[in-house]
Amino acid sequence: MRLLRAGRWITGIALLLLAGVYVRALAYTPMERMQGMAQKIFYLHVPAAIWAETAMILVGLASVFYLFLKDPRLDRFAAASAEVGTVFACVILTTGPIWGKPIWGTWWSWDARLTLTLFLFLLYMGYMLLRGAVSDPGERARFAAVLGICGMVLVPFIHFSVYMFRTLHPMPIVLKPSTPSLPPVMLATWLMSLGVFSLLYVGFVIQRYALSYLREQLETLGEVGRGKGEG
Amino acid sequence: MQPVPQNAGYMIAAYIVTGVIVVGYAVSLYLRARRAFRP
Repeated sequence: MRLLRAGRWITGIALLLLAGVYVRALAYTPMERMQGMAQKIFYLHVPAAIWAETAMILVGLASVFYLFLKDPRLDRFAAASAEVGTVFACVILTTGPIWGKPIWGTWWSWDARLTLTLFLFLLYMGYMLLRGAVSDPGERARFAAVLGICGMVLVPFIHFSVYMFRTLHPMPIVLKPSTPSLPPVMLATWLMSLGVFSLLYVGFVIQRYALSYLREQLETLGEVGRGKGEG
Repeated sequence: MQPVPQNAGYMIAAYIVTGVIVVGYAVSLYLRARRAFRP
C-alpha cells in the first residue's frame, strides 16, 4: 500500500511537471522556421519514444534474470514495464503521424523506422495478451519472459533503422555520438521533458507493480477467484 | 525568405492526444487500485 501511495505521488508530481513542460514548450521555446509550430511535437514525441524503447529493454532484462532466478518480483516488474511501455508507444504512434502530416505530407509511410515502431507496439500488445491468456502463474511468467526477450532484441533495430535503411524519418538529433544539433533553449526544454517522462515511467511502473502485488496477495487469501489469467 | 508554415493545429492536436493518453492511464491505474480494495 505504501508503494502504491508513493507511485501515486510520483505520478501526480510528474503530471504537474508535464503541464510545466507544455507551458515551456509552447510559450518559452522558439519556433523552428522550416517546420513551424508542428516542430514542437518533438518535445513529446522523442521522450515518449525513448521511454517506449527503454521500457522494452527493461522488460527484456527483467525477463532474462527471471528465467535464471525465478524471482516473481522480476516478472511483476516486467509486466508493469510492458504496460507502461505500451502507453508510451501509443503516444509515439499518435503524435508521429500528426507531426508527419504537415511535414512529410502523409500520415504514415511503411518505412523501416515507422514499421518497426508499429511492430514494437504490436509486440507489447501480444505480450499483454499472452499474460492474460495463460492461467498458471509459472507458465505465464516463463512464456512472457521469452516474448519480452524477443522485444528487447527488436529495440536496437528500431534505433539504428534510420542508418541502415533509407527512411522518411529523420536521423537522431539528440541521441547520437556527436553533440546534439539543437539550440540550448530547445535542448533544455527537451531535457526537461525527458526528465518528466522518466518520472512518469517510474510513477506508473511503481503503481502497476503495487497493483500486481496486491492482486497476488488477494488471490493468495482467496478473495479473488483462482484460475484466471492476469487482467 | 520562405514563410513559416501555419500548422499550429497539428501541434495542439498532438499535445491534447498526449495529455489524454497519459492522464487516462493515470486514472485507469487509480480506478483499478480502488476496485482491488473494494470488498
